[in-house]
Amino acid sequence: MNEELTPLEKRLRLASGLVLAGLIVEALTIEWHHPVAFMVFLMPGALLLFVGILVFLISLVSSPSQTRKVSEPAESVQSRSQEPA
Amino acid sequence: MNSTTILFGLIAVSAILAGLLMFRPSISASRGGKILAFLAVFVLPVLAGTGGLSQQMERSKDTAFCTSCHVMQQYGTSLRIDDPSYLPAAHFQNNRIPRDEACYTCHTHYAMFGNFKSKMRGLRHLYVQYLGTVPEKPVLYEPYNNRECLHCHSGARNFEEGATHNAEDGRLDQIKSNKLSCNTSGCHEFVHNVKELAGMKLWTPGAKPAADEDSTDSHESTGEEKK
Repeated sequence: MNEELTPLEKRLRLASGLVLAGLIVEALTIEWHHPVAFMVFLMPGALLLFVGILVFLISLVSSPSQTRKVSEPAESVQSRSQEPA
Repeated sequence: MNSTTILFGLIAVSAILAGLLMFRPSISASRGGKILAFLAVFVLPVLAGTGGLSQQMERSKDTAFCTSCHVMQQYGTSLRIDDPSYLPAAHFQNNRIPRDEACYTCHTHYAMFGNFKSKMRGLRHLYVQYLGTVPEKPVLYEPYNNRECLHCHSGARNFEEGATHNAEDGRLDQIKSNKLSCNTSGCHEFVHNVKELAGMKLWTPGAKPAADEDSTDSHESTGEEKK
């Protein structure tokens, strides 16, 4: 959790956190038979899922050069991203 | 395995993968990790969300769903009025409509996008129920359309050849074109009548009928006959 993350990984963490929260809300409303469940499913649940997916898709099309190679340590990516073009 | 179990499984797998990515986002550096991220944060959540929405939409058709709001409870009770001249009660008690989707079956619009419009009206109900002011006596947004009755009754022998429906020349055409409402006074005018519910005898499913009672299997009497 403490390792330095690239901007893409930070966005991925945010996206997966939002999706996870949306999925938890959805799971809670599945067996709840009440109109409130429908509202909760739509309002925080579906909204969290949607925003999470949107953040993920945006992260895919932005900052393409800052992904890390599998064997590369986090620090080298940080220093590379700070180099002047 | 029912759809709820499948949906729960899908949500569980999605949540585990999304949790893994949240705590170890660096796994997305490899090609396999990228595919995993795509599955965990896009494909599976889209499937789970669509499945969940579909299930919630289906559930919103339930009679219990509609009558769970306080203002609708008495309308649910009116389905058990022990009097065959009451239109919704006669339909509900004689299985002319599915009992578990009684409200939806009669109050949806059998037209293009009718289902979608019904859901939009349902969302409006929810808004009024939880964020707005609930009217003392709910009224329909628009007059009841015969189209909803004709969805089932059109072509049925007892409708097409019914003596009352053919009592005058052109009456059947007027009914079919919605110029003469099925709920017109003197026809099937007794609908929910929740104001009079307090003094009404209610039918209990499974209860033994009294020996001197008429069978409710016959077609319900009209308001005209009752008068």
